[in-house]
Formats: sequence, structure tokens, C-alpha cells
Amino acid sequence: MEATVIRWQLISPEPEAAASFYQRLFGWAVTQDNHLGYREVKSSGVHGIDGGIWPAPAGQPGFVQLFVEVPNLDACLASAVRLGAKVIVPPTVLPDGDAMAILLDPTGVSLGVCTLAPRPA
Amino acid sequence: MDLRARLSAELERRQKANPRYSLRAFAKNLGTHHTTLLRVLRQGRRLTPAMTRRLGQRLGLTHAQIAGALAHEQDAAVLSLVPHSSFRSDSRWLAMMTGLPLDQVNITLQRLLSGRRLTMHTARTWTREGT
Repeated sequence: MEATVIRWQLISPEPEAAASFYQRLFGWAVTQDNHLGYREVKSSGVHGIDGGIWPAPAGQPGFVQLFVEVPNLDACLASAVRLGAKVIVPPTVLPDGDAMAILLDPTGVSLGVCTLAPRPA
Repeated sequence: MDLRARLSAELERRQKANPRYSLRAFAKNLGTHHTTLLRVLRQGRRLTPAMTRRLGQRLGLTHAQIAGALAHEQDAAVLSLVPHSSFRSDSRWLAMMTGLPLDQVNITLQRLLSGRRLTMHTARTWTREGT
């Protein structure tokens, strides 16, 4: 299966403070021009990938999650479950048309898998 | 935790112990006005976060129980909008309609998705569990 890490996501109990920190530290641009008000972070430069910041529920620690683009979300989830993963957010079509799900791998680490909607040229 | 149900149960318990115990007395004990309490219990008025915390503390709930009550109210507020005729799959619209901060709306959406209580089928079509 072709699978590429396309995005990192920081789950932060203080998303605004986190965005401000990384803007000031690395000069990353943070925008929220999307239907979820999701903080999209331009961090890629020449070699890297972009990311985003999502709020953590009260009392939960922050962590970093990777998003992996796959050709077929349902097939990927079926394989993941067969290999011992647990689906914690089922397939979900976001308002921008991208589809994603969140897994807990067999070692307890969460990651996102997604398929991207076609982007305007 | 459904604070509304907890309040009703507590009122019923007190009235069973003392048949003359009134809603007005209960409201006074909770530090709120009886018409406010009446609207919450009988007319489904939304509980604000401040009201949820205050009533929860007066009922002797733990921090975890109060957090659960807050989440319950936020979940209900967001879910109530899904069948709305002018529904928009947009967190800012949900924030405006519920009065919740944008980040709190997104935390609520994540909780509802994880709990399979909300499904986002397409970019515009969301359904609540059981609909």
C-alpha cells in the first residue's frame, strides 16, 4: 500500500499559545481560513511537511500525531484492525472534502490516516 | 453526566423526604432563581458553563462529574443544531449558534465523532446517532 506521511498535527491543551510559540520561534505561518477554524501551519520549507494544531480536551496532555495519506481509507482501516490497531475516530469526511480516521496502533500510539479531496489547480 | 436529570432526581429525593419541599426552596438552596430552575428542568433551557459549575458545586459533585456535565451540555448543544434547517458544516457557525468558543466546538466535535454519536458523511452532510 502506498502510504505517505503528509502532515503532522500537534494536539495542544493551549492551541493559541502553541501557535504563537511556533510562529515566534520558527516564523511558521498559521492560518485558520477553513470551515473548522483548524490552525494550519506552514512549516515545510524545502524538505519538510506542513502541519496543524488541534485543541486537546481539558486536562489532557499535548502530543504530536502524524497523518498518513492512503489510497483507500476503508481498506487501510481494515488492514490496520487486522494487525491489531483500534479505530478511535471512524471514517469522517471533513467540510473541505478530505476524509480521515484516527487509529491507535497496537502499541497505543495514535495516528491519522486520510484521503485528500482533489484540490483546485 | 446529565445535570438536568441529576437535578430532577435530587428534587424528587428531597420531596419524597419532605412532601412540602418546593421547587422554590430547592432553587434557593442551589443559589439560583426558581424561574431559572423551572426553565432548566421543565423547558429544556440550556445550562451555561457557569451555571453548570455553580449548580454542580452546590449539589456536591466532584470535579470530574462537573466536567462530565459540561461535556454533556456541549454535546447536546452541538447535536441539537445538526438537523437545523440552516445547518452549516462549519465550526464558526456552530460556535456562533451555541455560544461556545471555536476550540471548544472542535473538542466537542472530536468527542462526538469518537463516541460515534455524530457522523460526517460528506462535506455537508452530518447525522446524529440514530437518525
